[in-house]
Amino acid sequence: MSKWQNQLRNWVSQYFDLPADVMLDLPRITTIGSLHAYIENCTGLLHFSDREVRIQYRRGELSIKGKDLRIKMMLKQELLLEGELISIDFKELKEGG
Amino acid sequence: MRRGQLTVLQGTLVLTVEGQLLEAFIHACVKQGCTFSDITYLNGRKVKVTVLLQDWPVLRRLRKNYRCKIKILTKKGAPFFLNRLRSRKALVTAVLIGFIAAFLLANTLWSIKITGLDPELEAEVESKLSSYGIQPGSSTFSMKQPREIQRLLLEDIPELLWVGVKKQGTSYQLYGVKQTNFDEADKPKPSNIVAAKKGLITKMFISKGRPTAEVNEVVKKGKLLATGELKEDSGEFIEAEGEVLAETWYRVEVDSELEREQNITDGDADHSFSIAINDFSIPVWGFWRKYEEQVRMESYNHSLELFGWKVPVQLRESLIYNNEEQQQSLSSDQSVNNSVETAKQSLLLQLDEEAEITDEKILHESKDHGKVKLILLVKVEENIAETKYVSQGD
Repeated sequence: MSKWQNQLRNWVSQYFDLPADVMLDLPRITTIGSLHAYIENCTGLLHFSDREVRIQYRRGELSIKGKDLRIKMMLKQELLLEGELISIDFKELKEGG
Repeated sequence: MRRGQLTVLQGTLVLTVEGQLLEAFIHACVKQGCTFSDITYLNGRKVKVTVLLQDWPVLRRLRKNYRCKIKILTKKGAPFFLNRLRSRKALVTAVLIGFIAAFLLANTLWSIKITGLDPELEAEVESKLSSYGIQPGSSTFSMKQPREIQRLLLEDIPELLWVGVKKQGTSYQLYGVKQTNFDEADKPKPSNIVAAKKGLITKMFISKGRPTAEVNEVVKKGKLLATGELKEDSGEFIEAEGEVLAETWYRVEVDSELEREQNITDGDADHSFSIAINDFSIPVWGFWRKYEEQVRMESYNHSLELFGWKVPVQLRESLIYNNEEQQQSLSSDQSVNNSVETAKQSLLLQLDEEAEITDEKILHESKDHGKVKLILLVKVEENIAETKYVSQGD
Protein backbone atom coordinates (compact mmCIF):
# COMPACT_ATOMS: atom_id res chain seq x y z
CA MET A 1 0.00 0.00 0.00
CA SER A 2 1.61 3.16 -1.11
CA LYS A 3 2.01 6.19 1.07
CA TRP A 4 -0.17 8.60 -0.88
CA GLN A 5 -2.99 6.03 -0.98
CA ASN A 6 -2.77 5.76 2.77
CA GLN A 7 -2.93 9.48 3.23
CA LEU A 8 -5.89 9.71 0.90
CA ARG A 9 -7.77 7.15 2.91
CA ASN A 10 -6.96 8.96 6.10
CA TRP A 11 -8.24 12.18 4.64
CA VAL A 12 -11.44 10.58 3.27
CA SER A 13 -12.29 8.99 6.57
CA GLN A 14 -11.82 12.25 8.39
CA TYR A 15 -13.59 14.37 5.84
CA PHE A 16 -16.66 12.13 5.51
CA ASP A 17 -16.60 11.18 9.16
CA LEU A 18 -16.43 7.49 8.30
CA PRO A 19 -15.33 4.90 10.84
CA ALA A 20 -11.60 4.43 10.64
CA ASP A 21 -11.69 0.63 10.75
CA VAL A 22 -13.71 0.43 7.56
CA MET A 23 -11.52 2.77 5.61
CA LEU A 24 -8.13 1.91 6.92
CA ASP A 25 -8.26 -1.88 7.38
CA LEU A 26 -7.50 -1.51 11.03
CA PRO A 27 -8.56 -4.06 13.61
CA ARG A 28 -11.54 -3.17 15.74
CA ILE A 29 -11.13 -4.49 19.23
CA THR A 30 -13.98 -4.52 21.70
CA THR A 31 -13.15 -5.56 25.22
CA ILE A 32 -15.50 -6.19 28.07
CA GLY A 33 -13.47 -5.34 31.14
CA SER A 34 -10.63 -7.75 31.11
CA LEU A 35 -12.86 -10.73 30.42
CA HIS A 36 -13.46 -10.73 26.68
CA ALA A 37 -11.83 -9.26 23.64
CA TYR A 38 -13.70 -9.25 20.37
CA ILE A 39 -11.39 -8.61 17.49
CA GLU A 40 -12.60 -7.86 13.98
CA ASN A 41 -10.69 -7.30 10.80
CA CYS A 42 -7.87 -9.66 11.68
CA THR A 43 -6.18 -11.57 8.94
CA GLY A 44 -4.30 -14.29 10.72
CA LEU A 45 -3.32 -16.08 13.86
CA LEU A 46 0.39 -15.97 14.44
CA HIS A 47 0.84 -17.43 17.86
CA PHE A 48 -1.42 -18.95 20.42
CA SER A 49 -0.73 -19.96 23.99
CA ASP A 50 -2.53 -19.42 27.28
CA ARG A 51 -0.33 -16.40 28.09
CA GLU A 52 -0.04 -14.64 24.75
CA VAL A 53 -1.99 -14.44 21.52
CA ARG A 54 -0.52 -12.73 18.50
CA ILE A 55 -2.84 -11.73 15.71
CA GLN A 56 -2.01 -10.35 12.31
CA TYR A 57 -3.89 -7.56 10.66
CA ARG A 58 -3.44 -5.84 7.36
CA ARG A 59 -0.94 -3.32 8.58
CA GLY A 60 0.73 -4.97 11.48
CA GLU A 61 0.60 -7.28 14.39
CA LEU A 62 -1.36 -7.31 17.59
CA SER A 63 -0.17 -8.94 20.77
CA ILE A 64 -2.58 -9.67 23.58
CA LYS A 65 -1.15 -10.83 26.86
CA GLY A 66 -3.09 -12.35 29.68
CA LYS A 67 -3.75 -15.40 31.77
CA ASP A 68 -5.69 -18.55 30.85
CA LEU A 69 -6.45 -17.24 27.41
CA ARG A 70 -8.61 -19.24 25.10
CA ILE A 71 -10.34 -18.53 21.82
CA LYS A 72 -14.06 -18.90 22.25
CA MET A 73 -14.79 -18.62 18.56
CA MET A 74 -12.79 -18.04 15.43
CA LEU A 75 -14.12 -17.08 12.00
CA LYS A 76 -12.52 -15.69 8.89
CA GLN A 77 -12.06 -12.14 10.16
CA GLU A 78 -13.39 -12.32 13.64
CA LEU A 79 -12.03 -13.70 16.83
CA LEU A 80 -13.50 -13.85 20.33
CA LEU A 81 -10.96 -14.17 23.07
CA GLU A 82 -11.71 -15.13 26.64
CA GLY A 83 -9.60 -15.09 29.75
CA GLU A 84 -7.95 -12.58 31.98
CA LEU A 85 -6.52 -9.84 29.73
CA ILE A 86 -3.51 -7.91 30.84
CA SER A 87 -2.35 -5.88 27.87
CA ILE A 88 -2.88 -5.23 24.21
CA ASP A 89 0.16 -4.13 22.24
CA PHE A 90 0.33 -2.89 18.67
CA LYS A 91 3.28 -3.35 16.41
CA GLU A 92 2.72 -1.51 13.16
CA LEU A 93 4.79 -2.65 10.27
CA LYS A 94 6.89 -0.10 8.50
CA GLU A 95 5.83 0.74 4.99
CA GLY A 96 6.78 -1.97 2.61
CA GLY A 97 7.64 -4.32 5.50
CA MET B 1 -21.63 -15.21 15.44
CA ARG B 2 -22.98 -16.26 12.11
CA ARG B 3 -22.74 -19.90 12.82
CA GLY B 4 -22.74 -21.74 16.03
CA GLN B 5 -26.50 -22.00 16.08
CA LEU B 6 -27.97 -25.47 15.77
CA THR B 7 -24.61 -27.13 16.26
CA VAL B 8 -26.45 -30.05 17.82
CA LEU B 9 -28.03 -30.84 14.47
CA GLN B 10 -24.83 -30.37 12.51
CA GLY B 11 -22.64 -32.40 14.82
CA THR B 12 -19.45 -31.25 16.45
CA LEU B 13 -16.05 -32.80 16.96
CA VAL B 14 -13.67 -32.11 19.81
CA LEU B 15 -10.09 -32.60 18.64
CA THR B 16 -6.54 -32.09 19.78
CA VAL B 17 -4.22 -30.56 17.22
CA GLU B 18 -0.49 -30.93 17.62
CA GLY B 19 2.24 -29.58 15.43
CA GLN B 20 4.83 -26.86 14.87
CA LEU B 21 2.67 -25.03 12.34
CA LEU B 22 -0.38 -25.15 14.55
CA GLU B 23 -1.44 -21.51 14.23
CA ALA B 24 -0.88 -21.49 10.49
CA PHE B 25 -2.95 -24.61 10.15
CA ILE B 26 -5.83 -23.13 12.11
CA HIS B 27 -5.62 -19.94 10.14
CA ALA B 28 -5.62 -21.77 6.82
CA CYS B 29 -8.68 -23.75 7.87
CA VAL B 30 -10.49 -20.59 8.94
CA LYS B 31 -9.71 -19.02 5.58
CA GLN B 32 -11.43 -21.97 3.89
CA GLY B 33 -14.54 -21.17 5.87
CA CYS B 34 -14.23 -23.39 8.90
CA THR B 35 -15.50 -22.31 12.27
CA PHE B 36 -13.32 -23.01 15.25
CA SER B 37 -14.54 -22.61 18.76
CA ASP B 38 -13.26 -23.22 22.25
CA ILE B 39 -9.59 -23.25 21.37
CA THR B 40 -7.78 -24.00 24.60
CA TYR B 41 -4.09 -24.27 25.18
CA LEU B 42 -2.86 -27.62 26.46
CA ASN B 43 0.92 -27.45 26.26
CA GLY B 44 3.74 -26.16 24.03
CA ARG B 45 2.43 -27.18 20.65
CA LYS B 46 -0.88 -28.76 21.41
CA VAL B 47 -4.36 -27.26 21.57
CA LYS B 48 -7.85 -28.51 22.00
CA VAL B 49 -10.45 -27.27 19.51
CA THR B 50 -14.08 -27.80 18.71
CA VAL B 51 -15.10 -27.84 15.06
CA LEU B 52 -18.23 -28.57 13.11
CA LEU B 53 -18.51 -31.95 11.47
CA GLN B 54 -19.04 -30.37 8.06
CA ASP B 55 -15.58 -28.76 8.29
CA TRP B 56 -13.86 -32.05 8.88
CA PRO B 57 -12.89 -32.71 5.21
CA VAL B 58 -11.10 -29.36 5.06
CA LEU B 59 -9.13 -30.17 8.19
CA ARG B 60 -8.16 -33.55 6.84
CA ARG B 61 -7.05 -32.08 3.57
CA LEU B 62 -4.89 -29.41 5.16
CA ARG B 63 -3.29 -31.32 8.02
CA LYS B 64 -0.76 -32.99 5.70
CA ASN B 65 0.46 -29.64 4.40
CA TYR B 66 1.03 -28.26 7.87
CA ARG B 67 2.21 -31.53 9.40
CA CYS B 68 -0.29 -31.52 12.19
CA LYS B 69 -1.45 -34.49 14.20
CA ILE B 70 -5.15 -34.56 14.84
CA LYS B 71 -6.80 -36.77 17.43
CA ILE B 72 -10.54 -36.97 17.86
CA LEU B 73 -11.60 -36.83 21.49
CA THR B 74 -15.38 -36.80 21.37
CA LYS B 75 -18.15 -36.72 18.81
CA LYS B 76 -21.36 -34.96 19.61
CA GLY B 77 -24.59 -34.15 17.82
CA ALA B 78 -27.36 -35.64 15.78
CA PRO B 79 -25.33 -37.25 12.91
CA PHE B 80 -23.34 -39.38 15.34
CA PHE B 81 -26.45 -40.19 17.34
CA LEU B 82 -28.22 -41.38 14.22
CA ASN B 83 -25.21 -43.41 13.24
CA ARG B 84 -25.25 -45.11 16.61
CA LEU B 85 -28.95 -45.77 16.29
CA ARG B 86 -28.42 -47.43 12.95
CA SER B 87 -26.48 -50.15 14.69
CA ARG B 88 -29.25 -50.62 17.25
CA LYS B 89 -32.15 -51.51 15.03
CA ALA B 90 -34.00 -53.40 17.75
CA LEU B 91 -34.17 -50.33 19.94
CA VAL B 92 -35.38 -48.15 17.08
CA THR B 93 -38.08 -50.61 16.09
CA ALA B 94 -39.16 -50.96 19.72
CA VAL B 95 -39.52 -47.20 20.07
CA LEU B 96 -41.40 -47.01 16.79
CA ILE B 97 -43.73 -49.82 17.76
CA GLY B 98 -44.28 -48.10 21.08
CA PHE B 99 -45.29 -44.90 19.35
CA ILE B 100 -47.57 -46.69 16.95
CA ALA B 101 -49.18 -48.65 19.76
CA ALA B 102 -49.74 -45.51 21.80
CA PHE B 103 -51.20 -43.80 18.75
CA LEU B 104 -53.52 -46.69 17.99
CA LEU B 105 -54.62 -47.09 21.60
CA ALA B 106 -55.27 -43.38 21.89
CA ASN B 107 -57.46 -43.62 18.81
CA THR B 108 -59.44 -46.56 20.03
CA LEU B 109 -62.80 -46.19 21.66
CA TRP B 110 -62.65 -47.72 25.10
CA SER B 111 -66.01 -47.08 26.66
CA ILE B 112 -69.50 -45.89 25.93
CA LYS B 113 -71.42 -44.34 28.75
CA ILE B 114 -75.14 -43.85 28.45
CA THR B 115 -77.02 -41.99 31.11
CA GLY B 116 -80.56 -40.85 31.62
CA LEU B 117 -82.25 -43.77 29.87
CA ASP B 118 -83.94 -46.91 31.14
CA PRO B 119 -82.12 -50.21 30.49
CA GLU B 120 -84.34 -51.21 27.57
CA LEU B 121 -83.73 -48.04 25.65
CA GLU B 122 -80.09 -48.08 26.65
CA ALA B 123 -79.68 -51.51 25.06
CA GLU B 124 -81.36 -50.27 21.92
CA VAL B 125 -79.12 -47.23 21.73
CA GLU B 126 -76.12 -49.48 22.24
CA SER B 127 -77.15 -51.85 19.47
CA LYS B 128 -77.79 -48.92 17.14
CA LEU B 129 -74.40 -47.49 17.98
CA SER B 130 -72.69 -50.76 17.22
CA SER B 131 -74.52 -50.90 13.90
CA TYR B 132 -72.93 -47.53 13.11
CA GLY B 133 -69.59 -49.08 13.99
CA ILE B 134 -69.31 -47.54 17.40
CA GLN B 135 -68.47 -50.06 20.07
CA PRO B 136 -65.69 -50.45 22.58
CA GLY B 137 -62.56 -51.59 20.80
CA SER B 138 -63.24 -50.01 17.43
CA SER B 139 -60.96 -47.33 16.13
CA THR B 140 -62.07 -43.72 15.99
CA PHE B 141 -60.61 -43.02 12.57
CA SER B 142 -63.60 -44.26 10.63
CA MET B 143 -66.17 -42.96 13.07
CA LYS B 144 -68.69 -40.35 12.18
CA GLN B 145 -68.84 -37.04 13.92
CA PRO B 146 -70.77 -36.94 17.21
CA ARG B 147 -73.28 -34.56 15.66
CA GLU B 148 -73.94 -36.97 12.84
CA ILE B 149 -74.42 -39.79 15.33
CA GLN B 150 -76.81 -37.69 17.32
CA ARG B 151 -78.91 -37.08 14.24
CA LEU B 152 -78.88 -40.76 13.24
CA LEU B 153 -79.89 -41.88 16.74
CA LEU B 154 -82.77 -39.44 16.87
CA GLU B 155 -83.94 -40.62 13.46
CA ASP B 156 -83.65 -44.32 14.17
CA ILE B 157 -85.06 -44.42 17.67
CA PRO B 158 -88.36 -42.61 17.81
CA GLU B 159 -88.65 -43.07 21.58
CA LEU B 160 -85.77 -40.69 22.10
CA LEU B 161 -86.79 -37.13 22.68
CA TRP B 162 -83.25 -35.86 22.73
CA VAL B 163 -79.80 -37.33 22.93
CA GLY B 164 -76.53 -35.58 23.60
CA VAL B 165 -73.45 -37.23 22.17
CA LYS B 166 -70.08 -36.15 23.40
CA LYS B 167 -66.74 -37.66 22.61
CA GLN B 168 -64.35 -37.28 25.46
CA GLY B 169 -60.92 -38.68 24.81
CA THR B 170 -61.35 -42.38 24.26
CA SER B 171 -64.91 -42.60 25.53
CA TYR B 172 -68.32 -41.67 24.23
CA GLN B 173 -70.75 -40.10 26.60
CA LEU B 174 -74.40 -40.12 25.71
CA TYR B 175 -77.14 -38.43 27.60
CA GLY B 176 -80.60 -39.32 26.52
CA VAL B 177 -84.06 -38.12 27.36
CA LYS B 178 -86.94 -40.46 26.76
CA GLN B 179 -90.04 -39.25 25.09
CA THR B 180 -92.94 -39.51 27.46
CA ASN B 181 -96.30 -39.88 25.85
CA PHE B 182 -99.10 -38.38 27.79
CA ASP B 183 -102.01 -40.52 26.86
CA GLU B 184 -105.20 -38.66 27.13
CA ALA B 185 -107.53 -40.39 29.48
CA ASP B 186 -110.00 -41.34 26.81
CA LYS B 187 -112.96 -41.78 29.00
CA PRO B 188 -113.35 -41.80 32.72
CA LYS B 189 -113.60 -45.42 33.74
CA PRO B 190 -116.40 -45.87 36.13
CA SER B 191 -115.06 -47.20 39.37
CA ASN B 192 -115.62 -47.49 43.10
CA ILE B 193 -113.21 -47.71 45.97
CA VAL B 194 -113.49 -50.75 48.19
CA ALA B 195 -111.57 -51.95 51.22
CA ALA B 196 -108.68 -54.27 50.38
CA LYS B 197 -108.35 -55.48 53.96
CA LYS B 198 -110.22 -55.55 57.19
CA GLY B 199 -109.41 -52.50 59.29
CA LEU B 200 -110.39 -49.48 61.30
CA ILE B 201 -110.47 -46.34 59.20
CA THR B 202 -108.32 -43.59 60.68
CA LYS B 203 -108.17 -41.10 57.85
CA MET B 204 -110.01 -40.68 54.61
CA PHE B 205 -109.39 -38.49 51.65
CA ILE B 206 -111.56 -39.05 48.62
CA SER B 207 -110.53 -36.69 45.83
CA LYS B 208 -113.14 -37.92 43.36
CA GLY B 209 -116.30 -39.68 44.25
CA ARG B 210 -118.76 -39.90 47.11
CA PRO B 211 -117.56 -41.48 50.39
CA THR B 212 -119.77 -44.16 51.82
CA ALA B 213 -117.80 -44.98 54.96
CA GLU B 214 -116.71 -42.86 57.87
CA VAL B 215 -113.63 -42.40 59.97
CA ASN B 216 -113.47 -44.72 62.99
CA GLU B 217 -115.60 -47.25 61.22
CA VAL B 218 -114.49 -50.86 61.18
CA VAL B 219 -114.71 -52.18 57.64
CA LYS B 220 -114.46 -55.70 56.32
CA LYS B 221 -112.67 -56.71 53.19
CA GLY B 222 -114.59 -55.71 50.10
CA LYS B 223 -116.70 -53.06 51.83
CA LEU B 224 -117.54 -50.10 49.60
CA LEU B 225 -115.65 -47.05 50.83
CA ALA B 226 -116.44 -44.54 48.13
CA THR B 227 -118.56 -44.70 45.02
CA GLY B 228 -118.10 -43.13 41.62
CA GLU B 229 -121.87 -42.65 41.33
CA LEU B 230 -122.17 -39.06 42.37
CA LYS B 231 -125.95 -38.93 42.48
CA GLU B 232 -127.70 -41.86 44.07
CA ASP B 233 -129.33 -44.23 41.58
CA SER B 234 -128.43 -41.99 38.67
CA GLY B 235 -126.41 -44.74 37.01
CA GLU B 236 -123.75 -42.22 36.00
CA PHE B 237 -120.34 -43.17 37.25
CA ILE B 238 -117.02 -41.36 37.34
CA GLU B 239 -113.65 -42.76 38.30
CA ALA B 240 -113.39 -42.66 42.06
CA GLU B 241 -110.01 -41.75 43.45
CA GLY B 242 -108.78 -41.38 46.98
CA GLU B 243 -106.82 -42.63 49.88
CA VAL B 244 -108.17 -44.45 52.89
CA LEU B 245 -105.79 -44.98 55.76
CA ALA B 246 -106.83 -47.67 58.17
CA GLU B 247 -105.50 -49.55 61.15
CA THR B 248 -105.03 -53.21 60.32
CA TRP B 249 -103.89 -56.11 62.44
CA TYR B 250 -101.53 -58.95 61.67
CA ARG B 251 -100.74 -62.09 63.61
CA VAL B 252 -97.11 -63.03 63.32
CA GLU B 253 -95.43 -66.20 64.56
CA VAL B 254 -91.67 -66.25 65.01
CA ASP B 255 -89.17 -68.82 66.19
CA SER B 256 -85.75 -67.91 67.36
CA GLU B 257 -82.85 -69.79 68.85
CA LEU B 258 -81.23 -68.85 72.11
CA GLU B 259 -77.80 -69.76 70.87
CA ARG B 260 -76.36 -68.73 67.64
CA GLU B 261 -73.19 -69.25 65.72
CA GLN B 262 -71.39 -66.37 64.19
CA ASN B 263 -68.57 -66.26 61.71
CA ILE B 264 -66.39 -63.27 62.40
CA THR B 265 -63.75 -61.94 60.09
CA ASP B 266 -61.75 -58.82 60.33
CA GLY B 267 -61.47 -56.80 57.18
CA ASP B 268 -57.86 -57.78 56.56
CA ALA B 269 -57.45 -60.04 53.62
CA ASP B 270 -54.48 -61.68 51.99
CA HIS B 271 -54.43 -61.42 48.24
CA SER B 272 -53.17 -64.17 46.07
CA PHE B 273 -53.16 -64.14 42.31
CA SER B 274 -53.15 -66.86 39.71
CA ILE B 275 -53.50 -67.05 35.98
CA ALA B 276 -56.40 -69.19 34.92
CA ILE B 277 -56.93 -70.80 31.55
CA ASN B 278 -60.32 -72.43 31.62
CA ASP B 279 -60.20 -74.69 34.70
CA PHE B 280 -56.48 -74.90 34.89
CA SER B 281 -54.77 -72.29 37.02
CA ILE B 282 -51.16 -71.34 37.60
CA PRO B 283 -50.40 -69.64 40.91
CA VAL B 284 -48.49 -66.43 40.48
CA TRP B 285 -48.40 -64.56 43.75
CA GLY B 286 -49.14 -65.35 47.37
CA PHE B 287 -49.47 -69.11 46.93
CA TRP B 288 -46.77 -69.81 49.52
CA ARG B 289 -48.88 -68.82 52.49
CA LYS B 290 -50.15 -71.65 54.65
CA TYR B 291 -53.23 -71.33 56.76
CA GLU B 292 -53.81 -73.35 59.87
CA GLU B 293 -56.85 -71.57 61.16
CA GLN B 294 -60.18 -71.52 59.53
CA VAL B 295 -60.28 -69.21 56.56
CA ARG B 296 -62.86 -67.92 54.19
CA MET B 297 -61.87 -67.53 50.58
CA GLU B 298 -63.40 -65.34 47.92
CA SER B 299 -62.33 -65.55 44.31
CA TYR B 300 -62.81 -63.07 41.54
CA ASN B 301 -61.94 -63.51 37.91
CA HIS B 302 -60.66 -60.56 35.98
CA SER B 303 -60.93 -61.17 32.30
CA LEU B 304 -58.70 -59.31 29.92
CA GLU B 305 -59.97 -57.78 26.76
CA LEU B 306 -58.01 -56.78 23.73
CA PHE B 307 -59.73 -54.87 20.92
CA GLY B 308 -63.08 -56.24 21.96
CA TRP B 309 -61.80 -59.80 21.91
CA LYS B 310 -61.78 -61.69 25.17
CA VAL B 311 -58.44 -63.22 25.96
CA PRO B 312 -58.93 -66.79 27.15
CA VAL B 313 -56.42 -66.23 29.92
CA GLN B 314 -57.90 -64.80 33.07
CA LEU B 315 -56.40 -63.29 36.14
CA ARG B 316 -57.86 -64.84 39.25
CA GLU B 317 -57.65 -62.94 42.47
CA SER B 318 -58.33 -64.75 45.71
CA LEU B 319 -58.99 -62.95 48.93
CA ILE B 320 -58.41 -64.96 52.06
CA TYR B 321 -59.97 -63.79 55.27
CA ASN B 322 -59.30 -65.16 58.69
CA ASN B 323 -62.41 -66.68 60.04
CA GLU B 324 -63.41 -67.15 63.62
CA GLU B 325 -66.45 -68.97 64.79
CA GLN B 326 -68.16 -67.68 67.81
CA GLN B 327 -70.92 -69.12 69.85
CA GLN B 328 -73.18 -66.52 71.22
CA SER B 329 -75.83 -67.28 73.73
CA LEU B 330 -78.55 -64.74 74.12
CA SER B 331 -80.61 -64.01 77.14
CA SER B 332 -84.28 -64.62 76.62
CA ASP B 333 -85.01 -60.89 76.72
CA GLN B 334 -82.50 -60.19 73.96
CA SER B 335 -83.82 -63.08 71.96
CA VAL B 336 -87.39 -61.82 72.25
CA ASN B 337 -86.36 -58.32 71.24
CA ASN B 338 -84.49 -59.66 68.27
CA SER B 339 -87.38 -61.76 67.10
CA VAL B 340 -89.84 -58.89 67.43
CA GLU B 341 -87.54 -56.74 65.30
CA THR B 342 -87.15 -59.38 62.61
CA ALA B 343 -90.86 -60.03 62.60
CA LYS B 344 -91.57 -56.34 62.06
CA GLN B 345 -89.02 -56.09 59.31
CA SER B 346 -90.32 -59.09 57.42
CA LEU B 347 -93.88 -57.88 57.76
CA LEU B 348 -92.98 -54.47 56.37
CA LEU B 349 -91.38 -56.17 53.39
CA GLN B 350 -94.68 -57.77 52.52
CA LEU B 351 -96.69 -54.58 52.82
CA ASP B 352 -96.84 -51.39 50.79
CA GLU B 353 -94.10 -48.86 51.07
CA GLU B 354 -96.23 -46.37 52.94
CA ALA B 355 -97.34 -48.85 55.55
CA GLU B 356 -96.24 -48.02 59.06
CA ILE B 357 -96.14 -50.16 62.15
CA THR B 358 -97.76 -48.34 65.01
CA ASP B 359 -97.81 -50.93 67.78
CA GLU B 360 -97.04 -54.54 68.54
CA LYS B 361 -98.02 -56.86 71.33
CA ILE B 362 -96.77 -60.28 72.36
CA LEU B 363 -99.70 -62.60 72.62
CA HIS B 364 -97.89 -65.75 73.54
CA GLU B 365 -94.34 -66.69 74.46
CA SER B 366 -93.02 -70.21 74.96
CA LYS B 367 -89.61 -71.76 75.36
CA ASP B 368 -88.46 -75.28 74.56
CA HIS B 369 -85.32 -77.04 73.28
CA GLY B 370 -83.36 -73.81 73.32
CA LYS B 371 -85.87 -72.04 71.13
CA VAL B 372 -88.22 -69.19 71.81
CA LYS B 373 -91.54 -69.20 70.09
CA LEU B 374 -93.52 -65.99 69.88
CA ILE B 375 -96.91 -65.06 68.63
CA LEU B 376 -97.24 -61.33 67.98
CA LEU B 377 -100.05 -59.04 67.13
CA VAL B 378 -98.86 -56.11 65.07
CA LYS B 379 -100.85 -52.98 64.44
CA VAL B 380 -100.22 -51.34 61.09
CA GLU B 381 -101.48 -48.18 59.52
CA GLU B 382 -101.78 -48.50 55.77
CA ASN B 383 -103.76 -47.52 52.75
CA ILE B 384 -106.55 -49.97 52.14
CA ALA B 385 -108.20 -48.23 49.20
CA GLU B 386 -108.62 -50.46 46.17
CA THR B 387 -110.11 -49.35 42.91
CA LYS B 388 -112.82 -51.58 41.57
CA TYR B 389 -114.18 -50.93 38.12
CA VAL B 390 -117.86 -51.06 37.61
CA SER B 391 -119.26 -52.70 34.55
CA GLN B 392 -122.15 -50.60 33.44
CA GLY B 393 -123.71 -53.31 31.44
CA ASP B 394 -124.18 -51.45 28.21
